[in-house]
Parts: sequence; structure tokens; C-alpha cells
Amino acid sequence: MKNKFWFLTKVSLKRKVGSKWFVVVNVLLAIAIIALVNINSIITYFGGDFNQETEVLVKDTTNRAYDVFQANIMADNNTDTEEETGKITVQSIVDDEETIKENLQNDQVLVILNEDDNQYLSAQIISNEKIDTLTYQMLVQSLNQTKTALALEDHQIDPAVLSDISRPITVERLVLNADNNADENTNLIMSTVFPTIILPFFMLTIFLVQMVGGEICEEKTTKSMEIIISNVSPQVHLGSKILASNLFVLLQGFLLVLYVVIGLAIGGIFAGGSSLPGEIANVLTELGATGLMDKLVYLIPLALILLILSFIAYSLVAGILASMTTNMEDFQQIQTPIMLLSLAGYYLAIMAGMFEGSPLLRILSYVPFLSCLVSPSLLMMGQIGIIDVIIAIVVLIIFIAFLVKYGLKIYKVGILNYSNEKVWKRFAKAVKTKDV
Amino acid sequence: MLEVKNIVKYYGKHKAVDHLSFSVDAGEIFGLLGENGAGKTTTFRIIMGLLDATSGEVMLDGKPIDYSMTDHIGFVTEERSLLTKLTVKEQIIYYGILKGMDEDTIMVELEKWLKRFDIPDYMDRKIKELSKGNQQKIQFISAVIHHPKLLILDEPFSGLDPINVKMLKDAIYELQQEGCAIIFSSHQMEYIENFCQKLIILVKGKPVVDGYLKDIKKAYRKKTVLLRGEDLPFEKIEKIPGVISIKPIRDEYELKITDEQVAPKIFAAIKNSNVTKFDVTEPTLNEIFIEKVGNVHEK
Repeated sequence: MKNKFWFLTKVSLKRKVGSKWFVVVNVLLAIAIIALVNINSIITYFGGDFNQETEVLVKDTTNRAYDVFQANIMADNNTDTEEETGKITVQSIVDDEETIKENLQNDQVLVILNEDDNQYLSAQIISNEKIDTLTYQMLVQSLNQTKTALALEDHQIDPAVLSDISRPITVERLVLNADNNADENTNLIMSTVFPTIILPFFMLTIFLVQMVGGEICEEKTTKSMEIIISNVSPQVHLGSKILASNLFVLLQGFLLVLYVVIGLAIGGIFAGGSSLPGEIANVLTELGATGLMDKLVYLIPLALILLILSFIAYSLVAGILASMTTNMEDFQQIQTPIMLLSLAGYYLAIMAGMFEGSPLLRILSYVPFLSCLVSPSLLMMGQIGIIDVIIAIVVLIIFIAFLVKYGLKIYKVGILNYSNEKVWKRFAKAVKTKDV
Repeated sequence: MLEVKNIVKYYGKHKAVDHLSFSVDAGEIFGLLGENGAGKTTTFRIIMGLLDATSGEVMLDGKPIDYSMTDHIGFVTEERSLLTKLTVKEQIIYYGILKGMDEDTIMVELEKWLKRFDIPDYMDRKIKELSKGNQQKIQFISAVIHHPKLLILDEPFSGLDPINVKMLKDAIYELQQEGCAIIFSSHQMEYIENFCQKLIILVKGKPVVDGYLKDIKKAYRKKTVLLRGEDLPFEKIEKIPGVISIKPIRDEYELKITDEQVAPKIFAAIKNSNVTKFDVTEPTLNEIFIEKVGNVHEK
């Protein structure tokens, strides 16, 4: 019987992984994820208006600001050439303002640098059409740097001294209650980053429920269930389906992570190094500053335990529900509440940051199916402690034991039932039977 | 070999099987007859361990049937129980390993069976691509590939043409010769008559006829007389006590009589006519079935 369990598991897993659709879907997923991770580079590669060269015409009425301004623009655009920035060309012009305005082209921007008694330097930016935000910001930044440079020169201040003066004060923050050690930024980061992290889990849950139910429904509708169940017990049969589907989902989850890593590596190679893209590195730095990284030591194992136990609970329920139905259409309908429950967990996890200290969220973090998403997010934000997550795990284990004890009785009756008549009465009676 | 002892099965208040007992010995073919819903499939499911009987027991070789014994049983279900997305090879390996066989042995046996059933090139064909008849052959192979001690055949010939029926019949006879106990269920009475030494007719789960086929026929008193000839005195024949009915069938007449003692009286009545055929025949199983089932329904 033990060998038959492993055989059924192997066959079930092989059917999923060996299917050409698994390969097709994963090729598509890999392409999509790698592309999404490198979407900036891809958009840039294919070109567009953002690559259009802009010619900056500079009329310097101060007779000393142009060189500094041009140097700042070139430095901001990280170019080695003296006159070209790649996107921006800087050119000094001496014609009168009205003539320049009359002849100004759409790809040209006129910057007039003027002396200002109070502010050292003022400027006008003139263009035919509205210039894009990035170019505008770059020009303003260069103007500010130029103004600073002129002021330093006027007052003979060493730039290093100014840098020390303007550097932000170093603050060491200490919260004595470790469970409440959350930075204000954490909530903001959580609400933006967390949905992305847990989305794959939500997707995998849907995969799992569909797979377990689909396979059992197929065996039922083809009547091959009768042959299988005459050779192995319903417990062995359901157990093999659950193990195979969970292994598949974990494999798929691993592959999703692998595609992200490959995407980042490709992005790093094309960016000239192996570092993470700036946005992700910034997020990680911010998360590190909140002390979250220290929590990962216990958060990851606890989240993984919850995740695996939740997968088992989901697949048990999917299997039991599939056994109660007589075709795939019925199963699709009956599994909808489970999907909604998972969706509720997803939204609750996202909203956790908005309702700090909510007793309802704390209670919901113990509820099976919701706990795997809500508990880790609340723990991450310091709204619950490790003990709460352990309670969620214990509740989930009790729930699984309950499903095994009573659900298997329903499963045994359900898998050989092809009638929709008095179905609930039949299963209620099955639950009352003494043994499986 | 197989002993079914007084099994009763209730679905709620509905009694699906009502005190059914029978035994099948090695090398014996046993017929289980009944109209739709008579309890045949429930009986098979109880034997296979798929359902628990409300009371009674099923023994194979003197032991209650459990999962350690189902490796020795083969089961051809009434409806195709094949995973249609699999290939023939995958399907047979799947069921074969569930029967405790190893893959190499399965392959040797499979090649042998495919050749025997005239489909040697079907190894890698998907089940769903096969005709209904060939699917039935694959289902049969999956049930016998492990050389079962007990083979349950629920409507094994459904959807098969006469050539394929003969192939399967020969295979079943061969299994019988090997000592396999076979339980056979069919709506087609001629198959039961050809195959089975012993049978039971179930009506609403209750056995109404039970025993050896020859004894059942002997005990069934009604006979049929087939007559062919000219100037037959039907008015005279009709008046003979024991003549139930006279029915023309093509160029003959079928006379139903209450028992074989009536036959000499009919012969005496027609001896002066130009008679070319006078044949007293045993009742067909179909006749017995219809009468038994009909009687129970009438009650």
C-alpha cells in the first residue's frame, strides 16, 4: 500500500509536470516575469519620444554661470562628452531673446540665466511645448547646483564644509516594545510591496484547488475511480493527490522566484553589474532601516509553516468538495467560496497596514485559510507577536485534523457517488459513521 | 474461492441487495442477471470492497476481502473506466502497478495481449483516439493483465462487434481454463446461456432464481413446441389442456405449453397432417428471466 501511495503520487506529479502545457505556461511565465522585472530597459530599448534629443540653448546674461550650468547638466546625465549629454545638447547663444524665441524649434529649450541680487541666480525656461518632467527636473536641479556653486564662490566657502552642514542629522531610534517596533514608513512600504509578495501565493492557492479538484473530478467522471479505489484506500488516494499537488505548487512557486532572480540578473548584466535595480535596492534599504530584515529570521520559517499547512488544508477541502460533485462544472461552482475566502485573506493582508491595532484583524489572523496571509503581514508590521502566529499554526493544525477525521468519511462516500439527489443528507450521514 | 454470504445493503431506507448468497469456484463462470437497478453493480462494488455491506460478508479463499486481496481481483466495469488522456501503455502500467505488478512484467503481458487482440501498434495511442470496441479491449486487458484469481465482468461485450465479441469470449474461456473464477453480468441472455454454469437472477436486490443453468431450465416446466407443416388443426390444438399460446413465426408456429407432458397430446392431434417439423425445446433463459422478473413486478 505504501508503494502504491508513492506510485500514485509520482504519476499524479508526472502528469502535471510532464504535460506540455506546464512547459508552455512556464516558458510564458518566465518571459513575462523577466520582461516585467526589466520593463524599464525594454521600453528604453524600443525607443520612443523620451529618447528624443533636446537642445538646450543657454543665454547667459551673468557672463559666468554658463560653464558651471553646462558642467552640471553633463554630470547629471552621466556623460563623458563635453557638449552632448546623450539626450540633451547644451549650447550657449548670444542672440537677443526675441529672435531666439521666434526661431525656437519644438526640440529646443531656451534657458535664460540672470543675475539675482537676493538669490544669486534666477532663470527662465522657455519652450514651444511643455517639456517632459524628467528633462524639466534635470534642468531645475542643474540650475540649483549652479546657484549653489556661484554662492559658494562669492562667499569663498569650501564645498566640503557646506556638505557637512547640509548633511541630515543622524538619529538612532529605539523602541523598547519589540512587537511594536514599526517605522511609520513600514505601513507605506507594506501597502505597496506586500501585495506583490503575496500575489504569487494567492495564485498558487488557486492552482492548487483547481488541480486537486480537477484530477479527482476527471477520475470520477471517467469511472476510473472505481478501479483505483478498488486497489488503494480512499485515504491513500486523497493523500497522494494532496502530496503531488503540493509538491507541484511548491515547485511552481520556486520557479516563479527563479524567474524573478533570472530577471534581476539579466537586468544587472545589462546595467553593467550584478547589483539589483535601483528601485528594488531602495525598497530593501528602506525595509532594512525599519528593522524588518532582523525579523525575517523567524518570520520566514513561521510564514513557510503557515503556508505549507494552508496548502494542505486548501487541498484537503478541494479534494473533499470534488468528491461531492459529479462533474467539473459542479466543482467550479462549489469551490467558489474557497476562492473568495482566499481572496478575502489577500485583501485583509493588504489592508492590515491601514487598521493598526484592529482586534478584528487580530482574530482573523487565527482563522484557517486567512491566517497564512494575514498573520505574517501583521507580524511584519509589529501588530501581533510570534505567539499569535503560533496560535494561528495550532488552530490550522486542529482544522486539518478535523478535515482528516470527518472530511475523509465524506470523501469515501463521495468519490463513488454519481447522483445529485439528497447529496447533503448522504454526506451528513457519512460524517456520522464510525470509521473511514 | 469466492463466497458471498447473505449480504444485505441499504441505501437509506432503500434495500439495494436483499440477503444475497452465492459462491463461485475456481474455473467456474457465474452469471449475475437482473434488470437495471436490480443490485448487480452494488453487489460487485461490495465484492471489490468499494462499498461496505450493511450485513453479511464476502470471502475470497476463506478470508474477508480487503486491500491485501484486491490485487488478485480483476474488474471490468459496465462503463469505460479509462483515463482517456493517457496512452494505452500508460493506462495499463497505471492499473498494473496498482495491482502490484512491476513495469517490466506489465510490458511483456501487454505486448502479448495487444497482439492477441489484433492491435499490436496501439501501445502509444491515446485512449481517447481509440474506437469504442478497442477501448473495451484495453479495459479488458487492464482487468486481466495480472492474471486474477477472480474476474468480475460487468457487461463486457457492450459496444463490441461480433468479431471482437469472439476474441473476448475466447480470452474469457482461456482464463477459465487457467482456473480463474469469473462473475459475469449481461443484459444479453444468450451470452449468459453460452458462458455460465451457475447463475442468479436478481429482482430488486432479491435472488429469485438461483442455481445451475441446467437445473434451472429443467425446473422451469414450461416448454416450447416448434411446428412446421400444412393443414395443421389449430382449432383442435388450442383445445388441448396445457397449450398456452400459438404464435406464427415466419413459416413456423411456436406453441407454448405448460409442461412437456402436453407435447405428446399435440403430436397426436397433428399426426394426420402434413408435418415437416415437430421440435420440443427447452425454455430460453430470456423466457425464464422475463417471467421471473415480470412475476415479481406484478406482485
